[in-house]
Amino acid sequence: MFRERFSYDPLVLPFLLGLIFIVTYLALGAIRMIKNLPAEDKIRLGKSFFSKQILLSIREIFNECLLHLRIFKKNPVLGYMHMSIALGWFMMIVLAHVEVKLYAPSRFNLPYYPIFFRYFVRETQETLDGAVFFFLMDFFLLMVLSGVGIAMYKRFNSKATGLRRTTRLKWNDRIALYALWSIFPLRLLAESFTSGISGGSFLTRGFGMVFETFVSNDLHVRPTWWAYSLALGTFFFTLPFSRFMHIPTEMLLILFRNAGIKHRTTGTGIAQTEIYSCSRCGICIDACQMVSAARLENKATVYFIRELREGGRHNAWDMASACLMCRRCVEACPVKIESTLIRSALRQDWKMLRREPLSFLPVNHTGPARVIYFAGCMSHLTPGIEQSMVRIFEKTGTDFTFMDREGGICCGRPMMLAGETRAARELIDRNKKIILHSGADTLVTSCPICYRVFAEEYQLPLKVQHHSQFILQMMEQGKISPEFREGTRVVYHDPCELGRNSGIYEEPRKVIAAMARIEPVAEEREMGLCCGGHVGSISLTHHQRRRIAVQACNILLAPSPDAIVTACPLCKKTLMDATAEVPVVDIAQMVDNPELLRKHPNPVLQ
Amino acid sequence: MATDGQKKVVVIGGGIAGMEAAAQLARMGYDTTIVEKQARTGGNVANWDHLFPEGRLAGEVVQQLYQKLSPVRIITGSSVKKADMLEGQYILTLADGSVLTTDALVVSTGFRTFDAHRKEEYGYGIYDRVITSADLEGMLNEHQPLFPGRHKGPRRVAFIHCVGSRDEKVGNRYCSKACCAMAVKQASKVKELYPDAEVYCFYMDLRMFDRRYEQMYLDAQAKSGVNFIRGRLSEASEDLQGRLVIKAEDTLMSKPLKMTVDMLVLMVGMEPASGARSVAEMLKIPVGHDGFFNATNELLEANCSGTPGVFLAGTCTGPKTIPETIADARAAATAADAYLRKKS
Repeated sequence: MFRERFSYDPLVLPFLLGLIFIVTYLALGAIRMIKNLPAEDKIRLGKSFFSKQILLSIREIFNECLLHLRIFKKNPVLGYMHMSIALGWFMMIVLAHVEVKLYAPSRFNLPYYPIFFRYFVRETQETLDGAVFFFLMDFFLLMVLSGVGIAMYKRFNSKATGLRRTTRLKWNDRIALYALWSIFPLRLLAESFTSGISGGSFLTRGFGMVFETFVSNDLHVRPTWWAYSLALGTFFFTLPFSRFMHIPTEMLLILFRNAGIKHRTTGTGIAQTEIYSCSRCGICIDACQMVSAARLENKATVYFIRELREGGRHNAWDMASACLMCRRCVEACPVKIESTLIRSALRQDWKMLRREPLSFLPVNHTGPARVIYFAGCMSHLTPGIEQSMVRIFEKTGTDFTFMDREGGICCGRPMMLAGETRAARELIDRNKKIILHSGADTLVTSCPICYRVFAEEYQLPLKVQHHSQFILQMMEQGKISPEFREGTRVVYHDPCELGRNSGIYEEPRKVIAAMARIEPVAEEREMGLCCGGHVGSISLTHHQRRRIAVQACNILLAPSPDAIVTACPLCKKTLMDATAEVPVVDIAQMVDNPELLRKHPNPVLQ
Repeated sequence: MATDGQKKVVVIGGGIAGMEAAAQLARMGYDTTIVEKQARTGGNVANWDHLFPEGRLAGEVVQQLYQKLSPVRIITGSSVKKADMLEGQYILTLADGSVLTTDALVVSTGFRTFDAHRKEEYGYGIYDRVITSADLEGMLNEHQPLFPGRHKGPRRVAFIHCVGSRDEKVGNRYCSKACCAMAVKQASKVKELYPDAEVYCFYMDLRMFDRRYEQMYLDAQAKSGVNFIRGRLSEASEDLQGRLVIKAEDTLMSKPLKMTVDMLVLMVGMEPASGARSVAEMLKIPVGHDGFFNATNELLEANCSGTPGVFLAGTCTGPKTIPETIADARAAATAADAYLRKKS
C-alpha cells in the first residue's frame, strides 16, 4: 500500500540531493543579488512585477532561455545546439510531469518521481497508455541528443560550427560539461533497458530491442539509472561553480533589464548578474580585434568576465585596461552583456590616479551664435577636418562660434573612459558653462567620442549633432549641394562611437551617397570595425594598435575603393597611418573638397 | 665606347651615390650605365642649396661629381621594369622597352623625404606657413623670398626636428641622421637672412656626431642666437591673424608651451625611395621592416645584397650624410670590381 502511494529507491538520492542543493543555492543567490541592488532599483524591480514588463520578461525568457533566438540569428548551428538542449530538456521535464499527473494521479508526487517515472512504473506494473507520450518523450530526447552531439563535435572542431575560436575551459567547467553531456546518453541507455517493461517509443524501444539481442536488459537497469541519477546530481552540484550558472542567472538578468535597472559598479546589481549570465560561449572571441589582429587572446571578453567571477581582480583590471571599448563584443553577445560598462565600472573602482582639482583651467566664453562648434582634441590633430567644417559653416551662412579654436577644455570622455569620473565631471561642468553662455541652440562636434559624452552626460537643453548630421541637414535644406562624382567608388568606415555606440549609421551614408558610390564592406554597421586608435584603451601598445588598424584597412580595401571615407578624426588618423594605398578622408573634408576622393597612386608600387 | 670583352655595369639611381659609384667603375675600366628615373642626375642633393658643415654649394658639389661621368652612359627619365638572369648576366628591360645587358648592378635608389602630410597635426598642406626642410632648401636655392609680400621679416620661426623619424606612430623608428645638422644649418641661415627674427629649434636630442657638427651647433647658439628647446611638437593651428600657434612641451623645464610663429619648418626624415621596393623584388634584395635594404653583413659586407652581382650603395641601406654616401658608393664600386674580376 505504502509503495503504491510513495515510491522510493536509493538511486534517486544523487539527483534529489543535487536538486535540493541547487534550488537552495539559486534561491539564496537570487535573494542576495536582489538585496545587493540599490534601493531605487529594488523599487523598480518590485514595480515591474505588476506591470506589463513582466509579460515582456516572460516572453523574452521563453525566446532567449529556451529558443535562443539571438544565437540563432548570429549562428544557426549554435542556435540549434542551444535550443535543442534547452527546449528538449525543458519539454522532457514538462512531459514527465504531465505524464505523472495523468497516469498516476494518486501518487504522492516527490520531485524525483516524474524524472524516474519510467523506473518506478516498471516496479508497480502500472500500465501506461498513450503512445503519444512515449513518442514525444523519445522525440525530445533525440532532440537533446542531437544538440549534445553538436556540442561534442564543436569542442573538438570549432570551425565546423562557424566559430574560429572556442573558449578554453577550466577544470570546473569541464566537470560540469562532461556531466551534462553524459546525462542524456545515460537516460537513453536507462530508458532503453526499461523499455521492455515500462514501454518506449521509436528510440528507446528500438535501442532496447537491439540490446536485448546480446545483453540481459534486466541486469543493466539499476546501474544505468544509478549512473543517470549520478550524472544529474554531479551537474547540479557543479552548476553554481561553472559556466552553466548562466542558465538560471539569465532569467534574473532579463527581469532586471526589463525593470530598467542600470549599471553602477562591478560588485553589485546588474553587473554581477551579467557576470554570472555569461555562458562562455566564446562568440565574443571572434568579434574582438584585439584577439584576431593583435593576438591578445586572453583579453577577450569571455576571459575578462570569467576572471571577474573566479579570479583575481588584478588580472581583470589588466584585461579591462587594454580594451578599446569598441563594443563589437557586446553587439555579438547573445546575452547582450554590456561588458564595456563593466570595464568602465572596474576602471572607476581602481583608484589609479589621485588628481588635483582642475580649477586652473580657464573658462573662455565664446559667442553669441546660433551654432556652437566643438572640434575636439582629435580634430586638432587632423586640422584638415576643422578647416573644412569652418568653410562649410561659412558657405552655408551658419551663424557659428568655434568653441575650442584656440585650445579649449577636453570634453571629459577620455577621463570617463579611464574611470576618472570625478575629474570628468569637473570638465563637463566647465564646458557646459561655455556652451550655455554662447546662447546657441545647436552644438556641432566633429568627434564621435565627444559627441557621445555631449549627448549622454551633459544633459544640454540644446540639440547635439555630429557634423555628419549637420552636413546632411544643410544638404536637405539645399544650402550645400555637392556634385555626384560619376565613377568614384568609396567605402565607409563606421566609427564605433558614431555607429554602434550612438546608432548613427544612415546620416553619413546619405551624405556620401550624394557624392560617390558606396561599396559594401564585409564588416560594417553594427559590426563595424575597430580602427585600433580609440582612447578607450589605457594599456595597448602602439604596435598592437597598429595591427588592428592594418586588419581594418585590409577589410576596408577588399572592394578596392578609390578612398576610405570615415566620420571620426581618430579613425581617420589611425587608418591613414596604416595604409598608403588610398586616401582616408573625413566626411567634412569630402564635402568641402571632393578632389580628395581621387585615388592617389600607391607610392610603394610606383 | 664598349670594347670587346669589356665588362658592363648598370647603376640604378643617379643620385650622388650612383654618380660616384659609376665614376669609380668607369675609372676602373668598366662599361658603365646609369639609369635614373628623373630627368636629371644629382638626386635629392641637387635640390639643396648649401651643405653642412662648411656651407659648400650643393650645385657645385653635384657639378663636380657630374664632371667625372664623361665615360658613363646616362639614361634619364627611365627605370628598370624587369630583370632576368641569364648565364651570369642580367638582362634589364627599361620602362621604354629598351633592353640592357650587364654583368653587375649597383643599386643606389636612395631616399625620398618623409611625406609631411602624414603628420596632419603639424598642418603641412593645410596652413600656408608650414613648410618642410626640403621646401626651405628649394626656396633658398631659387633665391625665393621666404616671406613674400612682407616688408618686415618674420618675427618668429620654428624648426621641428624628427618629423617622420624616430616616430612609431608613422612607422619609422629609426633616426634619419642628417636632419639635426641640417636644422642647425638652416636655422642659422634664416637667422642670417632675418637677424631680427627669433629662431627656435624643437628637438628630441641633438645628434651632432661629426667632428665639425658640435662646433656648428655651438656657433648657432652663441653667434647666430638660435634658441634650442627640447620637446616635441604636439600640434599646430592657425590663429585669427593667420599666424601659427604651436603647442609643445619644454621637457627640460617640464612645462607645456604655446608659441605663435610666422613660419614652421618641418625637418622631414628619410624614407626608402618610392621605387625601392619594386627594385628589391626584382633583384631579390632583402628588405628590413623599415623598407631599407639589408646587406648580407652590415659590418663587413655593407654593400653586398646577397644576390650575385648586385651591390648596394648610398642611402638605400639607411640614412647617410653626404661624405658617408660618397664613401659607401666607392666601397660598392670596389665590391663590384672584386666580383667582376673573380668572374672572369
